[in-house]
Amino acid sequence: MSHPAPAIAVRDLRKDFGVFQAVRGVSFDVARGEIVGFLGPNGAGKTTTIKMITGLLKITSGTVRVDGLDNRTQLVQVKRKLGYMSQKFSLYPLLTARENIEFFGGISGLSPRERARHQARMEELVPAAVLRQKVQDIPPGLRQKVAMFVCLMPDPGIVLLDEPTSGVDPEARRVFWNDIYGLKKLGKTLLVSTHNLDEAEYCDRILIIHNGELVAAGAPDELLRQRRKASIEELFKDAIEEHGQD
Amino acid sequence: MVRLEHISKQFGAIRAVDDVTLDIPGGAITILAGADGAGKSTLFKMLVGLAKKDAGAILLDGTDINGDYSRVTAVCGYMPERFSLYSDLSVEENMDFFAAVQQVPAPRRRELKERLLQRTGMAPFRRRRAGALSGGMKQKLALSSILLSSPRLIILDEPTTGVDPLSRIEFFAIIEDLKKEGRTIVMSTPYLDEAEKGDHIVFIRNGRVMRQDSLAGLRASFPARLFRILPAGNIFEVMRQVAADPDLAGRAHPRGRYIRCLQTGAGDPGERIPHLEMVEEQPTLEDMYIYYERQA
Repeated sequence: MSHPAPAIAVRDLRKDFGVFQAVRGVSFDVARGEIVGFLGPNGAGKTTTIKMITGLLKITSGTVRVDGLDNRTQLVQVKRKLGYMSQKFSLYPLLTARENIEFFGGISGLSPRERARHQARMEELVPAAVLRQKVQDIPPGLRQKVAMFVCLMPDPGIVLLDEPTSGVDPEARRVFWNDIYGLKKLGKTLLVSTHNLDEAEYCDRILIIHNGELVAAGAPDELLRQRRKASIEELFKDAIEEHGQD
Repeated sequence: MVRLEHISKQFGAIRAVDDVTLDIPGGAITILAGADGAGKSTLFKMLVGLAKKDAGAILLDGTDINGDYSRVTAVCGYMPERFSLYSDLSVEENMDFFAAVQQVPAPRRRELKERLLQRTGMAPFRRRRAGALSGGMKQKLALSSILLSSPRLIILDEPTTGVDPLSRIEFFAIIEDLKKEGRTIVMSTPYLDEAEKGDHIVFIRNGRVMRQDSLAGLRASFPARLFRILPAGNIFEVMRQVAADPDLAGRAHPRGRYIRCLQTGAGDPGERIPHLEMVEEQPTLEDMYIYYERQA
């Protein structure tokens, strides 16, 4: 094949919860090495879509391919390619950061030696005193750093981050995005959902989802030009209003 | 309208608020911006008398309140950070309850309640239990409840934190309407893009005021210039060159296809870096906040 498969290819993806249609026919690609931002109000379908990509949530209809692999028939291989940091639960709050690294390293199949190497690397990134604290007592910015580290331990090529910057202060948020660029530099592909509209500018492309449907997709500056808007906030409002509030 | 002078508050060994002097101009939106634990909530609590200040003075309309917090509470509506409603009561019942507590006369209550339900878009949900509302709607109801007493000073402690972007935009539109009515608003937020909409912006860090001014004033006194560079080659290669430049190291970050870069000395960073285009831009509030925080 002359063109490699996109890192993620989502086609006509749907998810029904009873009569409620949470995701209604969403299609998009995430190219290799790209940072894609996923924006939308609460309940728009961001987390549901991400969970379907990871295989954590059963797809009602449509397909998800990860590096060309179908996530329904080749889920084990798909999971090896993905790193996922969930919105709410990504670390055990009552365990220390060290214990989390040990635990998640273990279930990811990392050898004791690899786990020790990760522990040592973590100590370079986060003060030792923090690593001894229970995760619930670590400030949000550092907690996210630990969660991200844990998510990256198996060295996934594709990283899905669900609202990683919620509740994180401005300085930590900028450091976080610098880290994201560090991953891009390594050639990783990133899909990042966020509630912070100003973070759209960090992304190569953004997807805006509302009521389970994509209402805009493209490079942020191109979207601003096309829709003749001065800010992502205006663009966001415009895309959602055009689609209808309900 | 309000001036806080040299206010301090200590909790054990922690100086939560440390010699804060700030103005809340009348008929304007004042925004306290800062990270968690910066002292924003403590400051609000001291303003309304819910926490006792250790030192300093509170001036309302030019005169010291001298411990008479009823002067403040008579004119203000205060929305605390945590959900302040009764979850088991409906939207309308909550509003009626707060109106009764605030002794709003019945005809006025009816008229105002209707107006607020319409303005906030809550009318279709008037019978819904407050506990069953979305985060954004809960905040709109909490705001409506404090507006029933027609306060001229509105104090909002992180009203949009954790609320989704669409609800945040809607909430702020209501705040701007209140300003048009001539009311004074002071609110705190961790979102610096939201803080840019304020008339008077106060950066708070570790209990101290780092800077306060209008957005234009903050920009005018900002000691650095911001450039946006579109690299000609690989962005990471260019970032490596930026990181090696002692004038720019630590002050540049990639953003989409561009590199944003702060320059404190003379000259343009682009002269030393291969680029396609380089534009000088206005720094955002976030750029300024992070700059001052790193200086502190």
